[in-house]
Order: sequence, then C-alpha cells, then structure tokens
Amino acid sequence: METDVLIIGGGPAGLAAAIETATRGLDVTIVDESSSLGGQLCQQTQLIRPLPSVYQPMRGFELAKVLTEQINDFTVGTLLNHRVIGLYADGSVGLSDEEKVFPVKAKKIVVATGAAEQAVAFPKWTLPGIITIGAAQTLVNRDFVMPGKEAVIVGSSDFALDVASQLLEVGVEVKGIVEKNPAAAAREKEKTDALIGRGIPFYFNSFIKEARGNGQVEEIDIEVNGEILTVSADVVCIDGGRSPILDSFYQLGCSFGYQKELGGWIPQYNRQFKTDRENVFLAGNAAGISQQGALLLTGMIAGISICEDLQTIRSGEAEEIRDALWEELKLSEYKDVWEGRTKHIEKFSSPVLKDQFIS
Amino acid sequence: METSYETIVIGGGVVGNGIAFHLSERYKEGVLVLDKKYPMSGTSGSTQAWVWVHNKTPSWYAEFNMYSAELYPYLSKKIGDVEYKRTGGLSPFFNESDREKAKQLAESYRKIGIKIKVLSREKVLEKEPFMNPEVAGATYSSIDGNVNPFRLIDMYMRASKKNGVHYSTYNKVTEIQKQDGKYIVVSDQATYVCKNLILAGGTWSRELGEMLGIKIPVNQLRGQILVSEPLKPFLNFTISGLRQANNGEVLMGYSMEQAGFNRATTLDVIQETANMAVRYVPALGKAKIVRAFSGIRAMPEDGFPILGKVPGFENLYVAATHSGVTLSPLIGTLITELILDGETSIPIDRYSLSRFG
Amino acid sequence: MDKTTIICRCEEISYEEVEEVIEHGGRTFDDVKRLTRCGMGPCQAKICTGLVANIIHEHTALPLSEIPLQRMRMPLSPIKLEILATNSTAFSAVKSVLDEVEIEDGKVR
Repeated sequence: METDVLIIGGGPAGLAAAIETATRGLDVTIVDESSSLGGQLCQQTQLIRPLPSVYQPMRGFELAKVLTEQINDFTVGTLLNHRVIGLYADGSVGLSDEEKVFPVKAKKIVVATGAAEQAVAFPKWTLPGIITIGAAQTLVNRDFVMPGKEAVIVGSSDFALDVASQLLEVGVEVKGIVEKNPAAAAREKEKTDALIGRGIPFYFNSFIKEARGNGQVEEIDIEVNGEILTVSADVVCIDGGRSPILDSFYQLGCSFGYQKELGGWIPQYNRQFKTDRENVFLAGNAAGISQQGALLLTGMIAGISICEDLQTIRSGEAEEIRDALWEELKLSEYKDVWEGRTKHIEKFSSPVLKDQFIS
Repeated sequence: METSYETIVIGGGVVGNGIAFHLSERYKEGVLVLDKKYPMSGTSGSTQAWVWVHNKTPSWYAEFNMYSAELYPYLSKKIGDVEYKRTGGLSPFFNESDREKAKQLAESYRKIGIKIKVLSREKVLEKEPFMNPEVAGATYSSIDGNVNPFRLIDMYMRASKKNGVHYSTYNKVTEIQKQDGKYIVVSDQATYVCKNLILAGGTWSRELGEMLGIKIPVNQLRGQILVSEPLKPFLNFTISGLRQANNGEVLMGYSMEQAGFNRATTLDVIQETANMAVRYVPALGKAKIVRAFSGIRAMPEDGFPILGKVPGFENLYVAATHSGVTLSPLIGTLITELILDGETSIPIDRYSLSRFG
Repeated sequence: MDKTTIICRCEEISYEEVEEVIEHGGRTFDDVKRLTRCGMGPCQAKICTGLVANIIHEHTALPLSEIPLQRMRMPLSPIKLEILATNSTAFSAVKSVLDEVEIEDGKVR
C-alpha cells in the first residue's frame, strides 16, 4: 500500500502530526500497536498543562479523545493493532497485522514511537510485584486492576508522584517514596507537598538494598543514610526515568547524538524535526523526553515541515508557523530540556553515531 | 607497555585467534593479537557456525575442510568446551531431478574418503521427522556439525592468554612498514615492531594488504540469518540452511548478497529466509523469530582460501577466507607449522596468494 | 552493587558476568552481549541496555555518550515465522547448498 505520510505511533505527537498534515490535504496513515489511538494519554487521569494555545487544559484521556476526534474529520487511515516489523531494501516500511507482513511505501515518515521506562537493578528486582511506575498507572487507570495493597515508590519525578496520588485514590497504601538524591525530583513542588500532607514518608539519600519474597515481593530493605529500614510491600513501583524508543530510527539508518537532558541517545534532527535521512521526520518523546504539551508542539512542527516539503503550504507560511510553534515550545518545556534540545539541533551535522550498518 | 613482539597477528576473528592459539602451544615467544574493535564484532560473531564439509566443491577443497573438521574434537580437549557437535549434515532437495546431481557428488567424494549418502524421502523423514514430507531426498554426511562461535573465540582467547599471548583491542592498525628486516605496525594506541607478521583481517584483508602494497583480493558477501526463540530440542542434524543451537534457538538462513561492508538486514531477505525455513521444516512456522542478523563473508575472488607466505615478503603471512569457523583449527595448525618449521604437514601451495599473479 | 544481581532477566546474566567482560577489554553493550548472551533473549535488550551502559561507565569512566548504542535488529518485536514468511515467493538471495555444487562431465568439478 501507498500513502503520502506514514506516522509510526498514534500517541499525542503522532496525532498532532496527523492533524497538521491531513488538514492540509495529505493522505495520512497512522500505525499503532494498540487497539486505540492516544498512546499513553489514554490512562492519564492527571490534568495536562500547559497545552498548546489551541487547547484548553484537560486530563490526559480527554485530550486523547479531542485529538482523535479531530482526525476523524479527514482522510486518515488508522492501522490499529499493527506493528512495524522492519524495513525493506527500497525504503518501504514492513508492517504486520499478525496475519501477514506487508510493505507500506510512504513519501514521508514520522517516527513518533515515544519513550520506554528504564530499569533499576537491585538484588531480586525481578520478583513479581516489582513493576515500572508506568505499568502501575496502566493497571490502575486502564485495566482497573489494583496492583497491590501496599506500595513503595522508587523515584520522585512529577510522573512518579502523579501515580503515587492515583494509587492513593484507589485505596492502595503508599508506604513510602524512595529517592536517591537529597530532595524530590518533581519540578512541581505542590505534588511533593500534597503527599507529605497526606502523611506519605519520603526517604531521601536512599535506595533499595534488596527485595525479598517467596514467588512475589513481600518486603524490601531500604538503605536510608547508611541504615537499613525493612518495609513490607506487595508492589514496588520503579521510576528509572524514560528514554526515547529508537528501533525504527536505527533501521531507517538515522544518525544519533547523545543529550542527557533529552533522555540520552536520540536521533539527530534539525529545526524542521527532520532526521538526516531524507523523508524521515520525528516527533514526541522519541525526539527527546518532555512534557505532554511540548510533545504536541513537536508533532505540529514535524507536520508543518512535511506539508512544506510536499508543497501543500508555501515555504514562507510554513516558516512563520514553525517559528511561532518553536516560540511556544520554548515556553512549554522545562528550561534544561529546551536548552538540551537547542544544543542537540546545533549538532545536526556532527552526530556521535552514524552509518551504524557499515562495518 | 610492551611494543616489541616476535609475532603479531592482525585480526582477532576466528582465523586470527586460531593462529594465535596454535602458535602459543608450541612457542612461548611474544605473540600479540591486534583487533580494530573487539573479537567477534565482525564476521566471526555473525555466523551460523557450521563445521561443514560435505558439499563443498571441488573435491580437493572438500578434503581440506574435512581435515579441519577432524581436528575439532582435539581442539575442544585443548581449549575447553566450545559446544562442538558432530551432528551430521543433511542437505535436502525437493526435486527428483536433483537426485542425479546428489549421486554424482557422492560418487566423486567416495574416492577421496568423504562418505556421502544419498537418502530416500523415507530415510530423510526417519532421520529428521520434522522435515517437510514433500522432501524428495537429501545428501548426508556424518562429518558435518556445528559449534558455538562465541564460545569458540572466547575459549581460544582464554587459552591463548594463558599461554602468554597478548591481546590489544579497540586498536586499529593504520600503517605497516617494512624496515631492517622487521615490520613496524602503527596502530591507534601504539607503534609495534615484530619479526613475523600475520594478516588475518577477514573482510578487511584487502585494506590491510594495501598498507604494504600487496593486493589481497578479498571481497564481501553478505548473509542474513534469523534466530528463533528457544524451542525444545527437535532437530537432530545440521541442515544446510538451519540448525538448532544447544539452548534451543534455531538459526536459519543461507543467503548471499553483494552489499560491500553494509551489515544491514532487509525485510526482503528476511522474508525469503522465513519462507525457506518453513519449507524445510513446516513446524517452525509457529516459532517466534526474535532477531535477524547479517554477517559479511570474507570472500576471496576465486572463492578459495588465501593462505601462507606472501610472495616477496620475508616473514609475512596471510590467512584470509570464508568458512573461517570450519577451517580455523587447520589454518591455525598450518600457519604455525609454516612459521616454526618452514613447511606444512599438508601442502597449501594451491592456496598461495601468488595464484592471483 | 551486589555481584549476583541479575542484569539481563531474559538470559539471567548477573552483574558479575558483565563485569568480567569489561575486565577483559569489552567496551560496548555488543561486546558484553556476544560473550555472555546478555540481551539476546526474547526482549532483545529492551530492558538491560541502560543497566549495562551504566556498568561500563562505572568501570571504565567512559562518558555515557562514548558507550555506543547496541545494534538494534529486525524484527522490531518477536513475530511468528509463518507470518514473516508471507509476501515472499522468490528466492533471489537465499540459496540451496546443492545449487552450489558444480558438475562437469558427470563429476564434481
């Protein structure tokens, strides 16, 4: 099959790119592994802000619905329950619907594959009941399953604290939040204050020394300032940070750079959110871990740039829109992330890793 | 850091390591192995690692491979368990017309002592019950088998180190000079001096030769391989095209493409390979494929190994070949003999670089 | 970290095994992978790469930006062979071993 624009990943960034390209007359196809559009937004009950000026602040799952409704008015093909398998020699992307593998030839590709949660290793971290913070949220908000009765949270990012609150709401006892640094990592101080207000202990300068349990986590040892504190828990939620999912970029032959503020290894791209492979664009967390509002903006920029390349919008107009979106992006993400992104773009022509298949 | 060695081997793949180990058995003088990256990062780490004899042609080349396969049981005793299994090799054919060709192969090889049987359909299915029942027959030889290439190189390196061989990795050779009867080897990390120099650069042999103004006509030929999830043991033989490893994974593939040094895989060849594998063993259809990899064969221009002294250069040796896994113990033995005794126990003149003129 | 801590859960590779490769000169995830099978299991290194990079970083002091990405492979996630075998009928690059046998005057060349 053929399409003007193939968008890999139907999360917020992919949907934003789809809206920009489909509303400007392009034939757009979105592929996503799951059975619905919206990506991680679908299980996010927290309020998302700031959002690009065209949207009012709303909860994650509401935003997923608003974005999905917008593309429904246009000719956007959605290949749900489809996944990318790899790449053909002629550049076509190989998809599978679990019955066959078939090529899709696209004039432009947007990779918006999002981020993956990182592991934190300690003795017996592989015991059942020890899960990622994102998995805990999915269980509670999407599957309506209680992950356990007594939880310990490892890590104190904004996201970890959001999920801690959500666990409390459904009646999980949060026994403590373990943070290796001397202060909470969350940027929004009120999140920390709210949990402290509810009597949730924060253990700073701390880490998990060991987990124990018979076929399932039962208790953990937390090392707090050199002392061991044993806490009973049947679920331990690990926030090891997130990093961009890169498999598709790697197969497409894109170059990579390293930018700590954006989540580590990341495809090299320019102001158009275009990689150094002709016709391959990117958006969202795959272009650097940031906040939801910023992810939408990156998708919009990629979409506008594709419209410009395929001449459904004049170059001057595209440049104007793009400048405005970049201005808004600057205000929508944390300063260090923004600076990391700016640095990353400056290094467009000097990637750390390139020609990965040439030996 | 030591920079003066009796012998330097450039290339820590299965060929270079085979030479270093066999040298170290007899000879405690300084041996250094240089690798531009880390052993196994090239061809030796991206192979199905068949130890394969039975339908290599022509017959003199099959015989050469047989001698090497015969050395494997001894090698395992010397360096440790490398998961070598002499499973026997099975090459199925699906057209009755191939039976005549198979018989001619068997007849020709009987004369040089390689026993090949041409099996009927029933016999194939009796030996390998999961083979496609549509098979017409197969050639079979008991000498074929396979080895774990990672274990092989790891054990070679451990044994060589124990015998005093030095290794320097992530150390690319950039320049070689001949000076006062010695070789000066300039690399990223240091400049070395040695008496004997062995070029075992695999796919990069041509580039190494050029440093001394020698033409080593080795090209690249890509192969792509699929790996399944671990399955319970169900394949008995090394089948030309696929084999089951000790941990239950099935490796499949037998493809050839000219792609230079490009080690990408392509869905085109991956799907062809999948098709081949389900045709051979239909039950594999339900198995999950967890990864595909590609490796680049070091393919001399005429398809045969380039081995021995480099004409016109004293104490310079070359060992460049495909089928490095099969041939490694023999090449290691022969190059060691050549350096220490000045002659080899079986003739290798046929493999001399001089044949390219 | 405790030496017995599992780093690759698919293949059950411990911290100690990863450490040994680094002590032998390994500098990349792929070096560790080939020598230990770390990352060769069903998840194809989707979980352990960051952990291994950190261990290499701790032992060699190489900055994380100089510890290259692992080689990523198709299929991007595991897929049944029979599904993969669709959409291909030609054999242009895949050979049969017997095809390579050259016969001349009724004999192998």
